[in-house]
Amino acid sequence: MPSEQDLSADVVIVGSGVAGSSIANELARAGISVIVLEAGPRVDRQHFVENFRNLENKPSYQGPFPSVPWAIHPPNQMTPNDYLHTTGPDAEAYQQVYLRMMGGTTWHWAGCAWRYLPSDFELKTRYGQGRDWAVKYEDLEPFYYQAEVMMGVCGPDPAVEDLGSPRRQPYPMEALPISYAAQQFRKLVSEKTPYRVVHEPQARNTRPYDNRPTCEGHNNCMPICPIGAMYNGSYSVYHAEAAGAHFVPNAVVYKIERDSANKRVTAVHYYDPDKGSHRVTGKYFVIAAHCIETAKLLLVSADEQSPDGIANSSGHVGRNMMDHTGVQVTFISGDKALWPGRGPLETNVIDNFRDGTWRNERGAYLVHMVDDNQVDLATSLAISKGYVGRELEEQIRYLASHTVRLFSHNEGLADPDNRLTLSQTHKDVLGIPHPEVYYKLPEYTVKSCEHTRGLFRELIGLMHGTDEQWTPGYFPQDHPAGSTIMGTDPRDSVVDGFCRTHDHENLFIASSAVFSSVGTGNITLTVAALALRVADTLKKELAHA
Amino acid sequence: MPDLARKILCSVLTAGTALATLSMAPARADEPSAELLARGEYVATAGDCIACHTRPGGKPFAGGLSMTTPMGNVISTNITPDPDHGIGKYTEQEFEQSVRHGIRRDGSRLYPAMPYVSYSGMTDEDVKALYAWLMHDVKPVAEIPPATELNFPANLRITMAVWNLVAGSTTPETGDSATFDKLRRGRYLAHALEHCGTCHTPRNMMLTEKEGSYLAGASLLGWYAPDITPSKTGGIGNWTEDNLVAYLRTGHVNGLSQAAGPMGEVVEHSTSHLTDADLHALAAYILQVPAMDDDVDHTPREQFGQVLNTPDIRTGELTRIDRLDEMDGQHVYDANCAACHGDNGAGTDDHYAPSLFHNGVVGSARPDNLIMTVLHGVDRTAGNEHAFMPGFDQKSDVQRLSNAEIASVVNYVMTTFGSGNHNVTAEQVGTMRSGEATKVP
Repeated sequence: MPSEQDLSADVVIVGSGVAGSSIANELARAGISVIVLEAGPRVDRQHFVENFRNLENKPSYQGPFPSVPWAIHPPNQMTPNDYLHTTGPDAEAYQQVYLRMMGGTTWHWAGCAWRYLPSDFELKTRYGQGRDWAVKYEDLEPFYYQAEVMMGVCGPDPAVEDLGSPRRQPYPMEALPISYAAQQFRKLVSEKTPYRVVHEPQARNTRPYDNRPTCEGHNNCMPICPIGAMYNGSYSVYHAEAAGAHFVPNAVVYKIERDSANKRVTAVHYYDPDKGSHRVTGKYFVIAAHCIETAKLLLVSADEQSPDGIANSSGHVGRNMMDHTGVQVTFISGDKALWPGRGPLETNVIDNFRDGTWRNERGAYLVHMVDDNQVDLATSLAISKGYVGRELEEQIRYLASHTVRLFSHNEGLADPDNRLTLSQTHKDVLGIPHPEVYYKLPEYTVKSCEHTRGLFRELIGLMHGTDEQWTPGYFPQDHPAGSTIMGTDPRDSVVDGFCRTHDHENLFIASSAVFSSVGTGNITLTVAALALRVADTLKKELAHA
Repeated sequence: MPDLARKILCSVLTAGTALATLSMAPARADEPSAELLARGEYVATAGDCIACHTRPGGKPFAGGLSMTTPMGNVISTNITPDPDHGIGKYTEQEFEQSVRHGIRRDGSRLYPAMPYVSYSGMTDEDVKALYAWLMHDVKPVAEIPPATELNFPANLRITMAVWNLVAGSTTPETGDSATFDKLRRGRYLAHALEHCGTCHTPRNMMLTEKEGSYLAGASLLGWYAPDITPSKTGGIGNWTEDNLVAYLRTGHVNGLSQAAGPMGEVVEHSTSHLTDADLHALAAYILQVPAMDDDVDHTPREQFGQVLNTPDIRTGELTRIDRLDEMDGQHVYDANCAACHGDNGAGTDDHYAPSLFHNGVVGSARPDNLIMTVLHGVDRTAGNEHAFMPGFDQKSDVQRLSNAEIASVVNYVMTTFGSGNHNVTAEQVGTMRSGEATKVP
């Protein structure tokens, strides 16, 4: 049990994922004392790898990471699940999964490390839709690069393949080689459509980097990279610890204490797994607990001073829930065998619809040709067709080599009615309410998804596809955003352009929770860049203190 | 990975030079010819000066590498031509005295971490070329590494004079080393420049290389520099000249062995840069030195093991993530090694991850190098290939294994793919781990 004097630091951070651990690392390296409180346990790779090998349902991204009782995370994307309860017309499209443990959800991501487009930050100004951010692309550019160096991002030479987000420096590593399946797909798209397939920037080693090995294409980035070639938050945890940051696992923060003026946060309180309560004091506080848990914590901490929750004078905490809710199809190509499943999972993207004047009426999107092993799907399809014996084996071979999976990230839109609240009926073992989300897909996103379906049908036709299997309705992408939205006006937003809460001058939020729009690229690199900017702000303020 | 290398014997050219204020003006050679400079650079590479005289992340030749010796830590010195911090004030004659005889410009003795006993065999012309290149082409660096502090009595430099009497020196080769015939050139490379014996020849009580045991194998800093004499049982007598050339050029020959630790550094900094003719000369010479059988390796190290038909160890049971019990060797292997080396131990098809059977490290009866490789990994660049395996020590970002886990996985690997179970204990691993931990500057 930590002693009381251990529980005070210049900066107290809640959450040890990519955001919290990278801030801790930056601050500790600058000689600032840091405590990081992580709700989940400390973990290591080898047990996840063994769990993955023992797992029967290999594509289950949460599978190798069973929850602990005091820090439950959603078990899967099924509706309804036992933790993140969703309601509303599109409830099934908001079954997000994430991990509560040291290092955070990047234990199972695909390493997609997109920068947002400059236009993503100015959606309202340019297209009259949604909101603008209180920060511009140019402000974030240096932090994007810092994040890319920290994580080890590979990507294409902008002179050859410009991804639309201007860069001052090249990617830290060269782009991934293109897999055989991706080569076939690229060729088809470039020869038969007006579109293009680009290299996806990846937080994945194409050479030994940061004492971690080169990617060998094991094809199970999700649920677990078995060799450490892909970035995850645990590396930043290790680096921060080496620099002197103090991480406390199994510390479930449940209360945020303020001074009598309600202007400054003075302490956070956490439960250990036995529900012993501990108080941690500091000069600055950063909530970096993932979009869902961050909003939940602010709401759970409601008291007489702040009956609607902390940092919530605007009433926007928990509102504006967004995602890259998309569509997904698999089909059997009638053309040459593709043999997907060799190399990383997600490396190739059609990026033609990430931006355009049409964003004034429908959302942007990007399309992944997913390069995952299709033997599971092929086997169930072949069995359902009634094949047996040698024919079954041949069919599995044929179908596995010809299956194509496409899915899209479609642009969500901030809508205050899409709202996270505390469950009235479900509590965890510590007595903390589960989160509950109402979700109705914005019309803007529905139109985007319709457009995507049209593109998918076009591609299926070009590949002489059969056996289409469309995921019913919409497809959650586990990229939740918006629950503590950023803005310049304290009346309709929770944080300012530096991710500082409007209500409490020493409270920051480092999470996709602050996103004002959600663009199309995966959110992690932008989360990391915003977090590094928070670290930069804190370093400057503590230097002057 | 910081230099671990043969460093037992590399070291202090000029600690304390800055105090020698009564000096003559720096004597520089007249503008040396391009030919001489090119030869000097090659001699520096073959002698692998940079390995000891550069600290990890430091400027080339500016010293500062800390090397553990039985006498204490020796810190390598700045041999850039900076007049106050390096060797800028050395005349060619003074330089020759330090490189070949271990006598510093101020008359005191160098610690024998500097392999001057080996370098004493260098030709006059090669010393001249080395001097010219260091003075002319190396960028001066105004940094003084910390001074070496050894234990008594080695901390008295006078002791080194006595040591020198014992260690003696080799008579320099004469003539133009470039014109030597193959075996003479190979001998010159092996003895005077590459100083192979520094690590591979066992030492006597006085820490000098044992006579009559040339290249018969010796321990250093946790690693074991194996018997590389042509013994058919304990050495490399089954290797061809081409095998050895390929090993020295790339650091890896499939089915034989691969270089990590100090030897990985030798390949990276020195032998991968040698000419084809020099590699063949060196290999031919080594393969004809007197064969010495090994005390414990009685079967060629690369002959052990075969592909494993793995039993299915899947249970379908998952471990809760807060209950991280220590795993046994087979499961540690499955989780940490099998992704690259294969559950059957065959490695990758392109041999980037080597097979574990038919592998000299796993087939040795000494588990030292396998333990050290698991702890510290492999990080070796030769030509365009960067061979990399993460370490699994307490600094690893990939996976930090306990002493017991390393002991069990080493025993599993050696039993399954190598020379058998050598019953490595957690304590043994702990000793090797901590030895390393204190050595890193």
